[in-house]
Amino acid sequence: MSPRPWWVTFGYSTLVVLVTIYCLFPIYFVLVQSLKTAQEDVFGNPLIVLHPSFENFEDLFEAREGSRGFVGSVLRRSYPFLDWLANTLVVFAGTLALTLSLSLAAAYALGRLQPPGFRWWRRAIFATYVIPQTILFVPLYRVVLGLGLDDNLLALLLVYPAMALPFCIWILSAYFQRLPREIEEAAFIEGASRATAFFRIVLPMSRPVLVAAGIFTLGLAASDFMFASLFLLSGHNQTIPAGLGTMEVALDELAAVAGINLMAIPVVLISSLFARSYVRGLTAAMVEGS
Amino acid sequence: MRRAQRRRDVLRAYLLLSPSLLLLLAVLAYPVAWEVWTSFTSYSSLQEGGATFVGLQNYRLQIEDPQFWRTVAVTVAYTALTIAGKLALGLSFALLLSRPFRGRALVFLAVFLPWAYPGSVSVMGWYWTLSPPITTAYSALMGNLKQSVDSILGGGAWLFLTVTLFNIWRGSSFIGVLLLAGINAIPPELFEYALLESKSPWQRFRSVTVPLLRPFLALGAFLSLTSAFTDIANIWMLTAGRIVFPVLGTQAYWLAIHGGEFGQASALSLLLVPFLLGVLLVLFRLFDAPEPA
Repeated sequence: MSPRPWWVTFGYSTLVVLVTIYCLFPIYFVLVQSLKTAQEDVFGNPLIVLHPSFENFEDLFEAREGSRGFVGSVLRRSYPFLDWLANTLVVFAGTLALTLSLSLAAAYALGRLQPPGFRWWRRAIFATYVIPQTILFVPLYRVVLGLGLDDNLLALLLVYPAMALPFCIWILSAYFQRLPREIEEAAFIEGASRATAFFRIVLPMSRPVLVAAGIFTLGLAASDFMFASLFLLSGHNQTIPAGLGTMEVALDELAAVAGINLMAIPVVLISSLFARSYVRGLTAAMVEGS
Repeated sequence: MRRAQRRRDVLRAYLLLSPSLLLLLAVLAYPVAWEVWTSFTSYSSLQEGGATFVGLQNYRLQIEDPQFWRTVAVTVAYTALTIAGKLALGLSFALLLSRPFRGRALVFLAVFLPWAYPGSVSVMGWYWTLSPPITTAYSALMGNLKQSVDSILGGGAWLFLTVTLFNIWRGSSFIGVLLLAGINAIPPELFEYALLESKSPWQRFRSVTVPLLRPFLALGAFLSLTSAFTDIANIWMLTAGRIVFPVLGTQAYWLAIHGGEFGQASALSLLLVPFLLGVLLVLFRLFDAPEPA
């Protein structure tokens, strides 16, 4: 092959740089905002921060009750950010655990045990994605009330797994279905039960797909704002997105932006750690023998 | 012996399936039934007394309403625009990342981030960036931008544009990573063979890349479709409820929560479900594992 002409290389690098800027700019912008003092936010250059400070972050963890003084004649509320953080952790961890264990069980049933009509079971479950969420929350709120879960984190532990399950069941069961029979059969001949064969052989093999399902679930739970703010009413019970939604933007814009970053950074770190595995898992779920 | 074994397996399968089904039923069964039933009644918070059964009247009212068709047009435009944008950008990202270059791992992370960054808070970030509160250095700039876009394309165009942009920004990242997973599955020999067979990159793209990516493209297209149709949260956040370009979701929300017309709102939001189901049935053929021969 002849070496590529310089303009191809140049064009290629330009594209790469453009793509990177396009993807990262909004994230960068929000990060820069959160490091600014109010002074710099108003008079400085919007794109850079000259005197980074963590005062917005400190603001969030300050005085957990009562006010934080006045701006002009307006009282600044204080927000129970630590509670929001703890609640968010509980909800995300619970959602992950519940979604992954339920979808593993269901996917094993559909992909491995293959009851009659398993394809249509799977399709029917996936088809729940066509249900419009628009006004679904009105009757859903009744369900939550009926179960006595209003203003309770458990309500989200019902809703988030229900939103993530169809996709997770889909990719896990497609993966299980494509695994050759022989993988377990050797273990059966040795006298292993189905459960042993699953935990010893199938589960370790499916790690990337499980990671893909987990990252998808985390992304979904972390992107919900509506259900969190609908079901969690009192300040101490809210998750970060719900709580941030109640902040006075005009007064506490910078603190709110800091809150955005405090929520986003851990999620982004976890997702980035598993990003490669996520891609491998998606490949394995969709394509035979990879 | 084998039959007994099979029967036990089937029983086990239903047992393992039941927790997921129970959860889905608990969350969805009553709400969906409620919505379907309500769409056939006159349920409205403005009305005295109980709701009465009115048959298909709500659906007829919607279809005869010119506002409905305007909403459908906006929804279709929004959906087409976002799906096309996401697939085109996502495919470019995936192709760009499919060959090795220095710093590829970092660019891959950059492409992954818009989706991995929690949507619930990035939407707020976008909102405050594009329609900033009064007191920031860039408020004037954004205000001017909004004014000029609105004056060219009509009031509310800026908000509509921001929603579309946000949806594409986040979605193209998801689709890009999904398609990259698809490209990774294509054996490199196949590309080398195609390189010998055909000189034109376009031809290679059409006859090798696209067919092999089909399941991934179909899955990506479907998820974009549902996110455009059924998800109102982001639209709501970005426009703060000031709907000038209503899509079906926001229109139904408006009817129900502000108008109190639950019957009509239910009918409105259900009108598109058969269409989505039809699309899904077609797409299943493309991304479901083939029947074993």
